[in-house]
Amino acid sequence: MIVLALNHWQENLRNRFFILALVFSGAVLYLSMLMGLLATDQEVRVLLDFGLSFIELLGLAGAVYAASTVLLREMETKTVYMVLTRPVRRSHYVLGRFAGIMLSAGAAMLIMSAAHLMILMLKGWAWTPLYLWALLGAFLKVLVTASLALFLALFSTSVLSSLTITMVLWSLGHFLPEIRLMARRYGHDSSLLMAPLNAISWVIPDLQLFNLRDRLDVPAHLAVSVPVGSWILYAAAYCAVWLTLSALLFRRKEF
Amino acid sequence: MSALSFKGVSKTYVSSHLGRKTVSRGVSDMDLEVRPGEVFGLLGLNGSGKTTTFKLALGLLSPTAGEVRVMGLEPRDPKALAAIGFLPELPYFHGFMTPAESLRFYGRLSGLAGAELEGRMAKTMERVGLSRWALRPMREFSKGMVQRVGLAQAILHDPALIILDEPVSGLDPLAIKDFRDLLQSLNGQGKTIVVSSHSISELEKLCHRVGILKEGRLARVLEQKEWSKGLEALFVDTVRPERLREGRG
Repeated sequence: MIVLALNHWQENLRNRFFILALVFSGAVLYLSMLMGLLATDQEVRVLLDFGLSFIELLGLAGAVYAASTVLLREMETKTVYMVLTRPVRRSHYVLGRFAGIMLSAGAAMLIMSAAHLMILMLKGWAWTPLYLWALLGAFLKVLVTASLALFLALFSTSVLSSLTITMVLWSLGHFLPEIRLMARRYGHDSSLLMAPLNAISWVIPDLQLFNLRDRLDVPAHLAVSVPVGSWILYAAAYCAVWLTLSALLFRRKEF
Repeated sequence: MSALSFKGVSKTYVSSHLGRKTVSRGVSDMDLEVRPGEVFGLLGLNGSGKTTTFKLALGLLSPTAGEVRVMGLEPRDPKALAAIGFLPELPYFHGFMTPAESLRFYGRLSGLAGAELEGRMAKTMERVGLSRWALRPMREFSKGMVQRVGLAQAILHDPALIILDEPVSGLDPLAIKDFRDLLQSLNGQGKTIVVSSHSISELEKLCHRVGILKEGRLARVLEQKEWSKGLEALFVDTVRPERLREGRG
């Protein structure tokens, strides 16, 4: 499993993935600086918000795309044959590839956040450790979404459909408390309508749970509690479910 | 014990589109025994079931009926997989990686590590003529060179059974000769080799026995002595549709 994860990481390094990530993050962060200039009295706040959002979105795009295409690409190039005809468990293949994707996404997000922090410091932003927790929250959002994408890619017949479904579920994941509230409030009136809503509320990840971005600029004397333990537990449980299902599906897959 | 055996093996593919089911046949009722230490060739037209046969032997497909065994084990058994080396048709390697890096990856997957892995890599690259290019990115490689890397990954872990799907496809005559010499030398060391090819003359030179597949069935198994006057005529006679044979007569 570790061998497969490191191989994915190595291939990404050779693909100049990180150089691209760095160049692109530079361009995007420059854009967020311009936006910050437009909001004259809130420049640092805008820079902080946009920067973190871009880091999350870029990490998400890379991880979800990789999770949706990795198996298809390896089947097309037949590399999967050379791996699975060795004493490698199929579940280890799934977990190894996923770990490699997340290693690459995490490293890209770290590189981007280093550039982001540098710009923030130059603009006189007062450092707070909450930034690191916000970054961890963003990474966990990417992690749970990518685990879902990997499962959907195994289940679906085309990359486009699995990418589309993942992005729809990712969007809904930011409104999970509202969806659950709707299901609770109106469920009695129209059970036919609410049944799918109820079902979907168990499938989509609660991404709002990991959002610390909105609370980053609270005054220092107001303590912000960060439930890191429950974040990690939730992300681990969510990933475990989808990765287990992916491994089971992959075990039965014929090539 | 056979190196590879098929007993009454059939494989049908079922696909459905908009509720309409399509059933196609991969192989039908196949009985085959590959003896340890022999070079066995599979010959057949496109779609005759050669790749399906290999995938069944490698556990990439499960038979719809019958039983496949590799060294007496289920094909997906880790012990069976550890004893197999496989070269797919037109293998792909990451263009930015070097042969050494790729071999290290595949060697680790086969359970090799440390000095043993490095030693095997050096020996295998020497054997397939890759030593000089060990540290060059593979995007610079010709088809023949990529095929050498493919063979190197297949024999790196010293497998007892080597399965090669169209190994000389697209190679120049010199590379084909090098390949043949190498396979003969591996066989000389006691390795069992199962190879498919469209090149009848290559199988003629290399194999002890050849199985001819026709429409998913193993139509005929020929011993070396049977093709002393040429394998081509026997092959054509076996795979040619009945009406053409009658017309010729």
